[in-house]
Amino acid sequence: MSLVIDRRRMLLGSAAALSAASLAGVSRAIAQETRLRLMWWGSAPRADRTFAVSELFMAANESVVIDGETVGWDDYWPRLATQVAGRNAPDVIQMDYRYIFEYARRGSLAPLDEFLDGTLDLSGFDQATIDGGSVDGSLYGVSLGANSAAMMVNAAVFEELGIPLPDNSLTLARLKEIGDEITANSGRQGFYGIADGSGGEPFLENFLRQKGKALYTADGELAFDVDDIHEWFELWAEMRASGACVPPDVQALDQRQIETGMVSLRRAAISYAHSNQLVGYQAINEEPIVMRAYPRIADGVGGGHYRKPSMFFSVSAQSEQKEAAAAFISFFVNDQEAAAILDVERGVPESAAVRDFLAPQLNEAGRAGVEYIGQLGDLAGPLPPPPPLGAGEIDRTLVRVSEEVAFDQHSPRAGAEAFVAEAQSILERA
Amino acid sequence: MDGNRGTEVVGLDDKRKPWVSLLLHALLIGASILMLYPLLWMLSASFRPSQEIFNTTTLIPSTVSLEAYPRGWFGLRVDFGTFFWNSLVISVLSVAGNVMACSLAAFAFARLQFRGRNFWFAIMLGTLMLPYHVTLIPQYVLFLNLGWVNSILPLVVPKFLAADAFFIFLMVQFFRGIPKELDEAAMMDGCSPWRIYWRIMLPLSMPVLATAAIFTFLWTWDDFFGPLIYLNDMRTYTVQLGLRSFVDSQGGQSDWAGLFAMSILSLVPVFFFFLFFQRLLIEGIATTGMKR
Amino acid sequence: MSTIASSPSGVRPRKQGPLVRFLRRDGAGYMFLLPWFIGFFGLTAGPALASLYLSFTSFDLLTDPRWVGAANYVRIATADPKFAASMRVTFFFVLFSVPLKLAFALLVALALNRGMRGLPWYRAIFYLPSLLGTSVAIAVLWRQLFAGNGLVNTFLANFGIEGPSWISNPNYSLSTLVILSVWQFGSPMIIFLAGLRQIPQDMYEAASLDGASKSRQFWKITLPLLTPVVFFNVVVQTIEAFKAFTPAFIISGGTGGPINSTLFYTLYLYQEAFGFFRMGYASALAWILLVIIALFTAFSFLTARYWVHYDD
Repeated sequence: MSLVIDRRRMLLGSAAALSAASLAGVSRAIAQETRLRLMWWGSAPRADRTFAVSELFMAANESVVIDGETVGWDDYWPRLATQVAGRNAPDVIQMDYRYIFEYARRGSLAPLDEFLDGTLDLSGFDQATIDGGSVDGSLYGVSLGANSAAMMVNAAVFEELGIPLPDNSLTLARLKEIGDEITANSGRQGFYGIADGSGGEPFLENFLRQKGKALYTADGELAFDVDDIHEWFELWAEMRASGACVPPDVQALDQRQIETGMVSLRRAAISYAHSNQLVGYQAINEEPIVMRAYPRIADGVGGGHYRKPSMFFSVSAQSEQKEAAAAFISFFVNDQEAAAILDVERGVPESAAVRDFLAPQLNEAGRAGVEYIGQLGDLAGPLPPPPPLGAGEIDRTLVRVSEEVAFDQHSPRAGAEAFVAEAQSILERA
Repeated sequence: MDGNRGTEVVGLDDKRKPWVSLLLHALLIGASILMLYPLLWMLSASFRPSQEIFNTTTLIPSTVSLEAYPRGWFGLRVDFGTFFWNSLVISVLSVAGNVMACSLAAFAFARLQFRGRNFWFAIMLGTLMLPYHVTLIPQYVLFLNLGWVNSILPLVVPKFLAADAFFIFLMVQFFRGIPKELDEAAMMDGCSPWRIYWRIMLPLSMPVLATAAIFTFLWTWDDFFGPLIYLNDMRTYTVQLGLRSFVDSQGGQSDWAGLFAMSILSLVPVFFFFLFFQRLLIEGIATTGMKR
Repeated sequence: MSTIASSPSGVRPRKQGPLVRFLRRDGAGYMFLLPWFIGFFGLTAGPALASLYLSFTSFDLLTDPRWVGAANYVRIATADPKFAASMRVTFFFVLFSVPLKLAFALLVALALNRGMRGLPWYRAIFYLPSLLGTSVAIAVLWRQLFAGNGLVNTFLANFGIEGPSWISNPNYSLSTLVILSVWQFGSPMIIFLAGLRQIPQDMYEAASLDGASKSRQFWKITLPLLTPVVFFNVVVQTIEAFKAFTPAFIISGGTGGPINSTLFYTLYLYQEAFGFFRMGYASALAWILLVIIALFTAFSFLTARYWVHYDD
């Protein structure tokens, strides 16, 4: 019965992969070419750039054919998981910082260290960036660009009210004052100063890091306690009480998409995102958007931010063409012609040489992104340890518990206790 | 259109007073606006600059621009003409498969006596009840082993094997509504089950066959999860898959106006398929009347 | 599998007698079912049984499944608040969306069944919302309608009512999804229309000759003859509502929020499977849903003999 065979193949895995590979090997031998499957998520402009670079690579390497596949973010992960589970993963896989650990620790990605001597040239990368793509000491992902958490600020509102735009000295207390002032004086209907950040994991992480804590320890435990979260929820309860931030039923419209951010919905002057999203924000907002760093918890305290790899290219552990895949990745992150096509659409390039080459030809938004990362100064600290399995679920839990607190189903204290307990049980289960 | 056909079934209120007719039209037109609003909104979104789309409830764009249409059509490496063709092929084949295979199975369940009928009917209904998310991966492995992945076979072959229990059940209900004396008489005359199915059941079942054709076409056209999983190469993408590759809510630039422009175009084939096939819904009654 | 497929009844012929008897008695039925049998045993049954097997494992999609016995089911029954939350959401949805949607569909179908001008266009227009079901546009549009500053509240403000932010308030968000579902009443409407068309015209003619009034004809002919189709719509729409996934996925961005208020059962299942890499657990959830739906369907079939009128 076919079912049994399927299951067994799935269980053993390699059997199916081998038979598929041997078939593929035959056709390859005939065609004398290497076929690479490349999959990424993104929008139409990214597809255009990526296909163009693939063609560039194929022109330079005539024996290689690259088949590009692209879908949107939401559809990408079930598709990738299905292909990996079916032992039919693409050779080159675009990876997100959150998922690289899930995939690497489960053996779905190939370590790339062996290619570092020749095929894969990362000499222009600084060590922290290479570490950012490493899991348990091996390199599993090559960063395609850097970004950092950032506040998207509607500059027009600040100008209208004569409030100076915040700079790197901004504190949480000052942010609240700004929020109160805008809510009171903006003159726009249903408009508030700032978005409610209590459910935002990057903001919470920034806050914890400034307190000398973190989200997770190096061995995958929670690196914060109930008091930290209590303080965090209390902080936002005050913001809501004074009207500095949006009320909960407005904040709940935010689905962590560019088009549902409070700034894009024109419900607040400040919302929270990542620096590589500036272009996307500006594209759907009529008023000028600028980026600013998250506030300090007190004057002179910093280290909350970090340069985060926005996305990686990884190689599938099932790939028969790991070397060719590594060569393509190397081309993608180093070649100047490729860089000119890719621009900073995936974030600020990691190779210093590529950055210098691109600098003069960047447009305004691209320059803003590069400058933003460059001028974080003491606001930036070291890369945190990789998140453990289950971190994605804890992130979702934070959103839910923060909503429960905001809608007054929990006190900040009870919410903090519930969140920590639930986060711990998720880690134990993972 | 069919107003002068004179063959109509008695509805709730069948008085022919003009004011009733007028009132009904007024009600229907009012309701139509509710139904049409999203379409009009999409249409207007496709004309606007992206900055305006998310912040206004008015239908009139500040500036009207048709640029989003060519921009969207050629926005991905493979143009939408290819996606439309792929969708059309899959949808038309699915219609053919579903109508044939499901009507065969439905005839057996509705009219033939055989041991195990109720058992298999229950099993058939049971296949409607399992969420597809959990059978996805085993099915993917199965199709992979058959060598069907990255082709339209996983999307089309199941339709020819009556995998969609919805339509079997639908047809069973309609077949059972056809007077049984008809096929009993035919049986007396020595007709084989096949002839009864072909000569009596199918001709008398135009409304339900048209319904099945309409739904199959529309649902196949709208389906994105199947194509998402089974079609790797962009040249094989369907319209829905193309649309979903258009915008990225997480990252960089997204051409929203282009998305809405292509969404509008994607409705055109299904709308006309619907208009055309619903005529069969209407003709069914005439046929029934003549045959009896 | 091959033994079953080659002799679909599962009855293995030993001597000529039973085979001939089988062919004579049951052969035609199984011949007509042959495509379905091939599809069922070849394509459907295997993956379904595989998911049943997976429901007894811990399976993270990327590594091999590990047998855990009934642990998934035990956890669902004893230690899963989200299971209870998603059950509540789903039952609420089934309870309100199915009757409302069907009532709406039947009324409109009756109105559209009269001989009047422009009918094909009306039908097409009324089907439109169902066409847009999976479109990204619906998410944006629904937000603009039902947000605090949306069109619905703008309308209500004319009457001095200050509405909440319907879609993002946990008390109302699920109701906006019920409205969305009712608004997409096109499919049952078409099925009702087809059912009305199937009613033989001569029955009305005979009734008219007997002097039966139009309303009497409606209650004595139209409605009884429509019951098989009503029954179909009830059963199928209930199944679909239990399995509802797309509306919540699109409107809540896949989160089921705010505060799990739109966490449909299959959305929770999907999160577990593909968001949190617990396909084994998701499979257990799926089989529990199957049992619940099967019970409801069986109950519908039991009641059917009292109100569904077949002509056989």
